[in-house]
This record gives sequence, structure tokens and C-alpha cells, in this order.
Amino acid sequence: MNSTTLVIGGGISGITAAAELADAGRQVVLIEKEPYLGGHVAGFHNYFPKLCPPSCGLEINYQRIRSNPRISYYTGARVTAIEGGYGHYEVTITLEPRLINNRCTSCGKCAGVCPEEPKAAYIPGGLAFPMKYTIQADLCKKEACGKCLEVCPYDAIQLDACAATVEIEVGKIIIATGWSLYDAGRLEHYHYQQEQDVVTNLEFEHLLAATTRENRQLTRPSDGKVPARIAFIQCAGSRDVNHLPYCSAVCCGVSIKHALTLAEAYPDIATEIFYIDIRLPGRNEKLLERAKATGRIKFTKGKVGRIIHHNNRSGLTLEVEDVMAGGKRYDAFDMVVLAMGMTPNHIDKDLAVNMYGFYLEGQPSGIITASSCKRPMDVSSSVKDATAAALKTMRR
Amino acid sequence: MELIKPDIAFKRELSRLSGSQLNQCMQCGNCSAVCSLAPAERPFPRKEMIWSAWGIREKLMGNVDVWLCHQCGDCSTSCPRDVKPADVIAAVRQQTYLHYARPHWMGKLLSDPAWLPVAIALPVVVIVVILMLAGTFRIPEGPVDYSAFFPHGWLNGSISVITLFFYGLAFRGLRKFWQDMQQQFPAETGQKRGLSLVMVLGEVLSHSSFSGCEGKPVRKIAHMMLFFGFGLLILTTAYAIYATISHHYPLTLNNPFKMMANLASLMIFTGLGIMVSQRLLNRRVFGRSGYSDWLLLASIGLLTLSGLVVELARFGNWTLAYHLYFFHLVCVWFVIIYLPYSKMGHIFFRTTALIYARRIGRK
Repeated sequence: MNSTTLVIGGGISGITAAAELADAGRQVVLIEKEPYLGGHVAGFHNYFPKLCPPSCGLEINYQRIRSNPRISYYTGARVTAIEGGYGHYEVTITLEPRLINNRCTSCGKCAGVCPEEPKAAYIPGGLAFPMKYTIQADLCKKEACGKCLEVCPYDAIQLDACAATVEIEVGKIIIATGWSLYDAGRLEHYHYQQEQDVVTNLEFEHLLAATTRENRQLTRPSDGKVPARIAFIQCAGSRDVNHLPYCSAVCCGVSIKHALTLAEAYPDIATEIFYIDIRLPGRNEKLLERAKATGRIKFTKGKVGRIIHHNNRSGLTLEVEDVMAGGKRYDAFDMVVLAMGMTPNHIDKDLAVNMYGFYLEGQPSGIITASSCKRPMDVSSSVKDATAAALKTMRR
Repeated sequence: MELIKPDIAFKRELSRLSGSQLNQCMQCGNCSAVCSLAPAERPFPRKEMIWSAWGIREKLMGNVDVWLCHQCGDCSTSCPRDVKPADVIAAVRQQTYLHYARPHWMGKLLSDPAWLPVAIALPVVVIVVILMLAGTFRIPEGPVDYSAFFPHGWLNGSISVITLFFYGLAFRGLRKFWQDMQQQFPAETGQKRGLSLVMVLGEVLSHSSFSGCEGKPVRKIAHMMLFFGFGLLILTTAYAIYATISHHYPLTLNNPFKMMANLASLMIFTGLGIMVSQRLLNRRVFGRSGYSDWLLLASIGLLTLSGLVVELARFGNWTLAYHLYFFHLVCVWFVIIYLPYSKMGHIFFRTTALIYARRIGRK
């Protein structure tokens, strides 16, 4: 019986589960497919309902990983095979090279000379962990360019590094693969692919995070102007038999969070939230009272039918029935945020799923599913569920 | 405060006719938002959806809006709950013919397949009785001459009297329909009047409302074929009645009216062919097809076909000519006399509703 636990997914849930297990004295291997830990949360602007920044919660967990010798982690790592069973899982992991080794001090000289656009050598803004540069292989010209090799004072750049395969044996596995946003391109009536100023809620989150980080004004993607009117379309592709039939129960909180953030930081931007019903479970309901108290966020009941773009006019016209007022509106906005729902991320192994593709609780013995790969969840629920998963791992 | 009186049987009937799970509607308003024909004030079909789900018959029966709908199906295609608003609205229209049918049993006769044998027996019996009264209930000798079987005086007289009798009764239903619309959508003062009839005629002739249905020109073409084909046949019939009086009947093949009638049959067959094939192969074009849709298509198809066959039988001196002629008369009854009570009733109801909509500035 191997007592090591593998945690698949290095987002807030996987990190939490790994840290909890390690604190309880277990050996943990944490793997993440991206070059950095932190997942979605690392790129967030703030959490709801308290509107605090993601450094709260994430940084302390990074510290727990860094300081606990029982955790080892791999980034750029994917599970390619899981064999064996309870107590003796043999897991094959493929590691994508980051092309920069551990000698990197994140001085940024490589990115400074990188001629590609976007730059192949990068470090994500916000909470990067590990704090090291990565060279994105498909953007880099490698030795044909080699400019970064010349400037790096630490000999940290290894453009010839290749993928490696690691085989490890573990006793149990926690699956915390998290979620992806539903594909906005499939909502043809909202013209996401054609209109630069129609963005997803996740993109808007990144936009807010970037403006705060870079200490600049929020501008819209198409022409760099500060938008005067922003619309939020709730249930964009959710509760819809043609798309996601379920409610993620997170997107309402996210949009209200965005509108509140705007109301506080940009007194000149008018926001309007178009909803079917506002769904804020539990204590999140307070968020609605807070939003209404500002008096500057307009709530309109009605699912937006279409976004129409007029070539001769700037702005995006929303076609919607104001259900409570009982009239049709054609209203122009400078920017539209689609409140998209969450879909589960999977690993390359057939596990039991529900009718919507989310992992079930009941899996082969020794495999424990955690957080938003099980059902849509907000951050605080994910953290709780990850802690619960750690406990289940120790018990079973 | 208004007390709601749900009519559960009515709701179930709408659900059955439309195939819609009415309870699944979450009143998001997507249908009203995507509809290209809905007025800005109190748009449809979201409000009709909740009235249907709650079984509020009185809100749906004198309802102008269900007649503004031209069944393009955009609402059904994009409905997040797949509750098919277009089919629900079509079911409401179907229930309207029944609701305002005077006498009421005529509506029942044409809306329920169980009553089809009676609906067929009625014209058969009545025509036989007329023929017996005329003393011509037998197969005449010699070359085919339909007037020897059914004398023109008897034919024109009896059929037009029966038609006028039922249309007169049906008109009372239409008057009630108008009053109900007035109650539900009261006219505000100072709105356009007078020209509404002309405007509606223009709209009907040009089929302009069909153009709002994006990407489905096939519906417009099919309806135009039927509409103008039918119109030309009515014109021919009127001329034929005149001809029987002025004694140069039957019309020869090179008579312009005869040529026009044959062209009209061709148009009707084209339109019907499109409608039947689209209904069978592509449900999205016309929505759900039910008994009343098929009854209408079948009776128009059989009417036109039997008309052509009867014409051929006359020129070819067929032995079965008089039997076919009798069958043709039953078809005429189905389309013309049953008109206000079947789906053909849209000619009266939609026109009335469109005129009313114009008068109150709803269109």
C-alpha cells in the first residue's frame, strides 16, 4: 500500500487538497497542466461576495506548498495513463518543457529581447507560481532566433529541452481538474467571434485584473475607448437546452461583482444586468442588496435575444423584452459581457460522469473527485470541497 | 386584484396540440426578443406562453397577437427550454376556430378526427337529398353533361344558400371575436382608422409579413401559390356561375377562364407539394403538423385534383364521370362551406384580426 497521494489539478482546489494532506503528514505529488499553479484564481481580479483580491487565500497556499517538504509538484504536466488500483496506482505523467530551468531569477531580460508578438517568453501577470519565466514552444523560433540565449546572465534558457515522461506510483488520486468556460463562439446570436467588444465574463475578469495591475483605465478591446455603457447578459448559453441545460449558480455572483467593482471604480460607467432570475445561493444574496444599494446598477428581467451590430453606428444593440415592464427594447451598449457557465475538465481516463459530463462522487476505490469538476462551484465552495476530499483520502 | 381562473382542460389541450411542455417555460422573454413581427409594446409570444401555461382561455381567445404571428419558428428554434412558442401560438389559433364556431358543433366536427366520418356524411346526405328533390339522382345517359346530373339552377341555388347560411352564422362568431379583441386590446383615441382595410389587403396580397421570416422564403412562395391559385379558381367559379346563367356553359378548353383555372390548379399543386414535402421532411419550416393542418392540405389537394379529373372526364366521356363529380362536390363542401370552422378559417379570422391590429395601431 503506497501512502503517497497524487493530486491532479493545481488550481485553488488541488493546491488546497495537497496542502491539507501534507499538513496531515501525507506525501503528495501535485501536478498541473499549465506552466503555473493557481489555475483560474491566479488570474482573477477579486472574489465575491467580499470583493477581496485572490492573493488572499492563494498566496498563503503557495507558502504552504513551498514550505512543506512532503509536497512535490510538476507544472506543464499531463496524466497520460493510470494503471493499477487502490493502493498501487501507476501513473504516467508527460512533462512539457518550459524551456527555462530553475536558475531563472525572473529578471525579465528574455522577454525584453523576444521579438515575437505575443512574446514567447512570458510570466503571467498576477500570482505566478513558480516565479519563473516560461518560453511557449509554439511561439518561439528556438535556435533560429536565440536572442534570449545571448542576454540571459544565468544560463537559464534551454531551447533544446524536450518532453519527458515520469512514472510514479501512488496509493490514491484526487481529481481536481476544475472547469472551463463554455465556448462563447457557439452563441451565434451574440456574435462573440465577430465583435471584439462582446467578451466573456472570464475575459472581463482578466481585463479588470490587468487594469488594476497596470494601474490604468478600463478600455474596450475594439478602439481603446473607455466604455460608457456596459451590459451583462446572464445565462449566456446556460439553462438552455441548445447549450448548457444547467445553471452554474456562479455567473450571477460574478456579474454583480463586476458591476459593483465598476460602480466603485468608474462612476461614469453605467451598467445594466439582463437576467432571467438572479441566482445567489446562501450568503451571496447579500451581494444583490449591496448592488441595489449603490443605485447605479440597473437590473432588467429578460433574456437578451440577439446582439445586432450596426456598421454605421458605434455600439452593440441588444434586442430584449423587458419582462417586468412588458416592452421590447433595442438598446445600444459600448461593451457586452456574456455571463457564461462552467463545464468540467476531464483527464484521459474514463471515469463515471453525470448527464452533464461532471465527475460523480462514486469512482473506482482510491480515486476521489473534488470541487468544480464535480459540479459548478464558486471559490469558497471549491476550497471546502477540496478540504473534504483530503479528508476522504485519508479515511478510505 | 384580479383573480385568475385557470382552465386546466384548455391548457392540456394546447399542450397536446402543440406538443409543448408548457410548464417548462421559464418566462425568460427570449421568444419576444427574437420575434421580428412582435410590436415593441406588450410584445408576443412570451405573455401568450404564460397564459397558455396557466390555462387562461379568455386572454387567448380574443387575442390579436396570435394572428400577427406568421409562424416563422424563430422563437421555437432559439427557445432555451424547447417549449416551442410558435407551435403553442398555432394551437391557440386552432382553438380560436373552435371557440368562435357558430354553431359550435361545426367547430367540433372539423377539429376532432373522430368526427371525420360525420363531417363527410353531412355533405353526402345533403347533396343526395337535393338531387332527389331535383329528381336527378341517377346516372344520366349519353355524353357527359353534369347539368343533366345536377341542374345548374339547383346547384347554384342550393350550394350558395347553404354557404351563405353557414357564413351568416359564422359571422356572429367573428363579431364576438371582434368584441373580445376590443376588450383585450382597447383602442386608444386618435389612432389610424379608415385605411386599415386597404392596408391589410395590401399586406395579404404582397405577403409582406412572410418576409419577416428570415431564411424561409419557401413558406412565402408556397403560400403565394396557394393563395393566388385559390383566388383565380374563385374568380373562375364566379364566371362559371355567370356562364351557366347566360347559357354558354360548359366552358371550352380555349376559353381564357378555363385556361386560367387550369393554370391555377398547377399553382395549387406546386404550393401544396412544397407544403407537404416541407412538413414531412423539415419540421422547422412549418412547425408541428397536426390533424387540422393535414385536413386542410388534403381537402384543398383533393378539391383541385377532383376538379381536374372531372374536367378530363367530361372531355373523355368517362363512365365514372358522375361519381367523380359527386366526389368533387363533397370536396367543394369541405373547403368552401366548412371554411369558417376549419384551418381555412384563417382567411376570416386573420384578416379580421389584422384589420383590428391596424385600427389600434398595433401594426
